[in-house]
Amino acid sequence: MMNEDKVHEIIQRWRETPEDLKPEDYQQFRDVGAACLSGDDGQQLLKFIQDEKNQGIVKSMGCGLLAPLVDELVRNKKSHDHCQTAITQLTKTCSSRTLLESFLELIEDLDPGAISETILVLLPHLQIVLLQLDENRAAGVGLVLSALHKQLSRLPVPYTQQQEEADEHGLCRSCVALATFTRPFIDGVKKKDENCNPTPEDEKLKAEILKFCMLSLKEPLLEAELNQDRKSTLWLFAVEIMVILPAIKESLPGLLFFSSLRKSTSMDTDLSKESAACLAYLLFVQLIAMDTFPAVFSPVFILQCNMEHINQLLSRKKESHLLKGLALFAKSLEKVEDNSLPVGLLDLESFYSAPQNLRQVLTNCPIQHLRESGLKVFQLFINKLDAEAKHKFFRCMLKTSHHAGVEGYIVNNIRSQIQSSIKGEANKWFLGMELLPLLELVLSLPRAAETDLLTNMDKIMESLNLLRCLLMKDKEMKSDADIWEELCRIKDEYLKVLRVCISMSRAYYSAEMKVLKEEQKLRVKEAKDHARSTRLLKTITVKNDKVTHMSPEVQFQVLQSALVTFDLMESLVVRIDEITEETQGKTH
Amino acid sequence: MTTDQFLPMDDKSATAVFAANGIDVTPRKDQGVFKVVRRQGLDGDRPMIGDKVTVHYTGKLLTGKKFDCSWERKEPFCFNVGKGQVLKAWDIGVLSMQRGEVCSLLCKPDYAYGPTGNPDKIPPNSSVVFEMELLNFEGEILTADGGIMRRIKVKGEGYSNPNDGATVDVHLEGRCGDRLFDCRDVSFIVGQGEDKGIPLGVDRAMDKMQRGECCLLYLKPKYGFGNEGKPEYKVGPDKEIVYEVTLKNFKRAKESWEMDLNEKLDLVSGVKTKGNQYFKAGRHHQAVIQYQRIISWLELECGTGMEQHKKIQDYVSTAHLNLALCFLRLKEFSQAVDNCNKVSCVTLMTSARLHPSGYVHLLLHANVSPCACVCLCKVIEHDESNEKALYRRGEARLLRNEYSLAMADFQKVLEVNPFNRAARAQLSSCQSKMKEHQEQEKKIYANMFQKFAERDSKVCKLSFLG
Repeated sequence: MMNEDKVHEIIQRWRETPEDLKPEDYQQFRDVGAACLSGDDGQQLLKFIQDEKNQGIVKSMGCGLLAPLVDELVRNKKSHDHCQTAITQLTKTCSSRTLLESFLELIEDLDPGAISETILVLLPHLQIVLLQLDENRAAGVGLVLSALHKQLSRLPVPYTQQQEEADEHGLCRSCVALATFTRPFIDGVKKKDENCNPTPEDEKLKAEILKFCMLSLKEPLLEAELNQDRKSTLWLFAVEIMVILPAIKESLPGLLFFSSLRKSTSMDTDLSKESAACLAYLLFVQLIAMDTFPAVFSPVFILQCNMEHINQLLSRKKESHLLKGLALFAKSLEKVEDNSLPVGLLDLESFYSAPQNLRQVLTNCPIQHLRESGLKVFQLFINKLDAEAKHKFFRCMLKTSHHAGVEGYIVNNIRSQIQSSIKGEANKWFLGMELLPLLELVLSLPRAAETDLLTNMDKIMESLNLLRCLLMKDKEMKSDADIWEELCRIKDEYLKVLRVCISMSRAYYSAEMKVLKEEQKLRVKEAKDHARSTRLLKTITVKNDKVTHMSPEVQFQVLQSALVTFDLMESLVVRIDEITEETQGKTH
Repeated sequence: MTTDQFLPMDDKSATAVFAANGIDVTPRKDQGVFKVVRRQGLDGDRPMIGDKVTVHYTGKLLTGKKFDCSWERKEPFCFNVGKGQVLKAWDIGVLSMQRGEVCSLLCKPDYAYGPTGNPDKIPPNSSVVFEMELLNFEGEILTADGGIMRRIKVKGEGYSNPNDGATVDVHLEGRCGDRLFDCRDVSFIVGQGEDKGIPLGVDRAMDKMQRGECCLLYLKPKYGFGNEGKPEYKVGPDKEIVYEVTLKNFKRAKESWEMDLNEKLDLVSGVKTKGNQYFKAGRHHQAVIQYQRIISWLELECGTGMEQHKKIQDYVSTAHLNLALCFLRLKEFSQAVDNCNKVSCVTLMTSARLHPSGYVHLLLHANVSPCACVCLCKVIEHDESNEKALYRRGEARLLRNEYSLAMADFQKVLEVNPFNRAARAQLSSCQSKMKEHQEQEKKIYANMFQKFAERDSKVCKLSFLG
């Protein structure tokens, strides 16, 4: 520890020979400053910094004090005023470049527990420093923004409304502060754009700000839950971003619709794809900046472009992404007329993969509300396709979904298409020759007579229902003898295999049931005879391993309901036979 | 005369005024779009379908209420004309304009916002008026490198395009300067235009064309006949050429989902052979198309049973290997490394299953793509073809100046096959290049330190920003 005299002596030396300062001196200066602050002598430090005689020292070494001062500000509210004044003094005295470098170092080593607090303290001063910078300001702004964004992206994004309002980690506050921070730079660019041709430096600044916007769109906005009715802090941040983009001459149509042919930017493609997807969501779903968006695009074109974004959003397995993807999908479809999308659109890559991703949500997503709204969008999509496109889409789904629930849903849709084409204007896709290949896909069992009827139940029941309806509309169907004949052939073939399948399955399950009953009897008897259950355990392990973890009662119920299902299927088959006979009776 | 003089007014009187002063520009002459020219443009200089046009516009209701205006945004509006990107009235109206022309368009609902209108902005069933200036237009650029530019003379129908593998019937007229060198009806398979003497650019443009379309394709040499030229057409090396192409008809190839696995496997060997043919002939772009088809068909298939599984894997990993080689030749190094990494990922699945114990150990040794290195190392023990993978990745890395990584690869090649002379040669070239590089770096750094020392006193710590 140094005594006061010693310190004075050193300071005197620094004042006299400011040109040969050594690294040790910098360290020492910093230590003295830090010691001052921790000893509650901030006032004294401020005096020292402000002292006219010390300006030489402050100018060369003052930056070293930034870290301890900021640290003190974050930790200790009491010393707020003089610390702020001290930092302001430093930003006036020291060289902007050195200041910027020190600030960047500071941001780099932020204490993870005090990220937002520190950033909030830093921002006003950083802004002043950057504005003082004469050269390379764009690069400086870029470095600062990406460093700040990197730190902010470490904070958790609020999930519920309460969390967002409480803003425990300060993410929301920091975002808003960051938007305010960028404003003078954007205004500068804007003013120059109006007056004269922008310099390369201006272009660079625009590029850096664009990069920041794209980063912010991905994080935190893509992760955040936004709601137009509840203009939360993050929603306001989204508005800020959407205001910045046109201000730096980035047109929204350019970013959203014509990005594929843009000159390669410094951003990696995944980032720009996700950011653009979030941008589309903010514009079309949250309607932010919609009033500045050209009103002359055709709805089909908007859907076609948005499909890329929808696909991007639905391909991720995160709730916030899926939610946005579904909302954007629904919004883009709503604008399109029913039965209007032509089949050629389905040849587009995104029109194949986005519905496939949607199907994944329907069948695999564990979150119920997503599955529910997913199903609504799925139906909406089907409604917008024209007859030929529906036909192709149904075929595609029946071939690719491998999921009886989805297949059943499609079969149900086919039935309603047939019904409406019987009622209304007949079209060849659902009432003529083209119906047959579709029916062939519907009326088939994936593994013929060995098909697992229970897992395929949804599709089989819908298919039988469809058959029943078709046969009841025999008058309309018989108008073309060839089609009717072929229909009957497909039907007979299907029912033949299905009957075999049902009887085999029933035999199997009845046998299982019998075994189960026997075992139960045995167990009751054994329980009576012996108290020990060693043999019982053995018999349990012998059984079908699918149901071993269930209690015998549950097993019994499962088997029972399986048998009921078979009965149900069989009764439908019988009903179809009856109808067939009736219609044949009519003709003879 | 401006539109404001007309507004506000009702539908009938608007139609009367526009009909008196202007012309009906709809093809069907159903009075859906009337145009009144306010300022003549350059005579005869009109945009073609698909062109990227730049306009300024104001949109107003008949009440005079402005609902959209690019002038207010201070940003001209760009789109590809005649492709259904915008309101029908716009596609028709802008195609009728000349460069620099200013006009007013009266658009009936059917050609504008229809029976629904646009929420908050346009009531249902509204006629609207656009004041429009055509600032500029240029041909549509089809590839990111700008090597193919298209201008459409006759628009095709629908949205469907021929895909890779589709059979197309076209009429071609190839010109170099003013000289017609090729004029014929020909049918070919997309991706294999080469076989019929069709340049890459025409082949690659097919999947952007619709049935019935007739367009002009402006090809840079890379997409034309390259630096070899085409003696039979008397086209010299590095010439830019123009093709007029009419897509008379086509039949799309089946999509991956439309085929079952057996169908794919039947076709795949043919595709592979085709790719190999192109590769041997030095047609690397064309070979890439074939190999990529294999991958798009098979990458998500796993087949039933070990044997089929292995067969699929063989096809996929060979395709990746071959792609890697193509990209090396095309000097697309990052894609080459990518493909080598993928080879290994596929093989990883089997090899990791065979040797679970070695898995973690090897992961620790992996430096770039852990997956890739794991399998590369694993596969060395079994599979001769991955000697190739290693070698090719080494080659790619060497060209990207990743010397030590490249050296590691070549050393591994030699571990598998000590008699691989090519690898040995590469290894020594690696070493010498590395030395060279180090020397160079030393020089740079030496200078740098010297400079730093000079500037130290001047406080220029932020020089890295410059």
